[in-house]
Amino acid sequence: MIQASSFAKLLAEHQPPAGAASELATQLEAMNRTLQTVEPAAPFLTVLLRTQGQRLEPLRDAMLSLAAQTDRDFNVVVIGHDLEPDAVGVVRSIVDGYQALLPSPAEFVLVEGGTRSRPLNAGFARSTGEYVCVFDDDDLVFANWVEEFHAIARTHPGQLLRAQTATQQITAETWPSGEDGFRTLSWPLAEYAPYFDQLDHLSANRSPFMSVAFPRKLFTDFAFQADELLDVCEDWDLILRGSFLLGVADVPALTAIYHRWQAGASSYTRHSEATWRESERRVLAKLDSAALILAPGQIGRIRSLLADQGYRAEFERMTASKSWKATAYLRAARQRIAHIAAVGRSRVSRLTRGR
Amino acid sequence: MNRVNIGLGGTALPALALQSVIYKNEPDAVIRSVVALSLSAANAVAAGKISTWMISLGNSSSDPVFSDEQREALARSVQSAGGTLHVTDFAENLGHGGGHNRLAQTGDSDLIAFVNPDGLVDPGTVVALVNALGADVGIVDARQIPLEHPKEYDRLTGETAWVSGALCLIRRSVFLGVGGFDSDTFFLYCDDVDLSWRVRLAGYRLVHAPAARLFHDKRLTVTADYEPSPVELYYSAEATLLLAHKYGRTDVVDSVMELYRDDRRDHIVRAVAEYRKREAAGTLPTVIAHAGTVAVFNSGFYAEHRY
Repeated sequence: MIQASSFAKLLAEHQPPAGAASELATQLEAMNRTLQTVEPAAPFLTVLLRTQGQRLEPLRDAMLSLAAQTDRDFNVVVIGHDLEPDAVGVVRSIVDGYQALLPSPAEFVLVEGGTRSRPLNAGFARSTGEYVCVFDDDDLVFANWVEEFHAIARTHPGQLLRAQTATQQITAETWPSGEDGFRTLSWPLAEYAPYFDQLDHLSANRSPFMSVAFPRKLFTDFAFQADELLDVCEDWDLILRGSFLLGVADVPALTAIYHRWQAGASSYTRHSEATWRESERRVLAKLDSAALILAPGQIGRIRSLLADQGYRAEFERMTASKSWKATAYLRAARQRIAHIAAVGRSRVSRLTRGR
Repeated sequence: MNRVNIGLGGTALPALALQSVIYKNEPDAVIRSVVALSLSAANAVAAGKISTWMISLGNSSSDPVFSDEQREALARSVQSAGGTLHVTDFAENLGHGGGHNRLAQTGDSDLIAFVNPDGLVDPGTVVALVNALGADVGIVDARQIPLEHPKEYDRLTGETAWVSGALCLIRRSVFLGVGGFDSDTFFLYCDDVDLSWRVRLAGYRLVHAPAARLFHDKRLTVTADYEPSPVELYYSAEATLLLAHKYGRTDVVDSVMELYRDDRRDHIVRAVAEYRKREAAGTLPTVIAHAGTVAVFNSGFYAEHRY
């Protein structure tokens, strides 16, 4: 336990200098103003479509889903990362095939080497939109994806925007016409919360990359970057850091489908369990080493979690006690009686149902 | 029934008509759909799959779909891509099948593609559809995204129990040979299932072509549920009964009626009333006997579903 004198000393050491809080507020306000400044000719959204050229049929689906957007105020940068030489021409040809259906010609950029973050940083540097969003080549967006982001950006400028995403099981399969295709295996499932829970995101990423749009100037004017030392979890890292800095506005619509591959390579199979654990550790260590600003509502959530923790500790103490163990036979007997009663009710119900 | 003996085996490339029936659709969405159709058809010409193509829009709305300027600009756009655009104002709502039947009467192309106007076809879709239309294949349908239809198809051949009218390709001779869409029975929904089964009974296979894409603008709620419109609910409920009757499945009609018996939702009440009205008036469709395994009624679906 910390002695009173030590505690006072600790407080004194961590006392912010006079005026620090107001200085921080001023800087955040200035940052927010910059993030909200929009060049007149800028599109609302820049879409960074990341591909390794290994899933050409899903890439075509992804391009078509962009072409089908109801809100046309966006541009596309396709980033080919570590493409095999043969794939460069193929991917370029696919992208060119959709140019006439997009609001403006998509840019095609090649990036070599580095982790999955390197193509992101290359893309952020080329982004011109008010917001920027990352869309991987094997996922899908609904026609209202841009439209819904756009609507919320008007009421929550300068914040991250987060929409609901469904997940869908999918497996690699050769199509009857010979292409390396795939087959969906399940109806889309809303497995993530429809709102952004900052604390819940500390345990794992609950927001697929394309469900979040970032103010573009965060990257181009404030040196916010994807962490190139991360092999994976680069999306989680950006979303967490961005959310602590700017807050997150919820988009009240489901606008995308995140595909979970049952067969065929994905980022989950290409990287080892150890790589995933190390990336997670790095993401959390970075957060743990920084001063963070919590989003509104998080104090209540923290208190609730702490209360739950208290109940759990109490329950564990109770179930470990001698009296709990000594009365086990009574609980077993009560369960047995309840079971017999339930079986009896079920039989009566069947007999009286009619046909 | 004998198979209608028309194929794509000749040396001449087939001509294609792409048909859409419009009812109060947003002009901008229809324009984007037409532009995408033009690109896909032009790519098929370039790939040596079709000779000529036209886009035929049938307007079931009471108002014109486009302004004169929009219509002229769109016609020029289609023409510059190598096709022609025809817009027909029906002056009445003919429904899905009725509209397509009317448009088909005015054309003479070898092939007809039926396309939903709220869809965007992929640049490679027409090529993929034509490629899959083998001599023994009656109709080919496209894969819809972002919500793929869950009906089962053979992994090797693509063979499937019915094809979706959201986007499918059929030979004109086959379409006319089986009598087109049964628009007397079906106004919206299930007319594609009925056409599919009659084409199968004529001896053809039905094929799903996953490489042929259609972005069909359907949405989900935040809980990932699909909420059908009142129109979809009503006509689907009605079509279920009519389809079961038409294929001689009185057991299905009875079980659906039993299911609907205590259901007081408006679309169910109206669907039952309409069926009873037709029954009393003797205007139910003529029963197709010996449909055998072609007509599949599987827990409310018309095929085995993957999920």
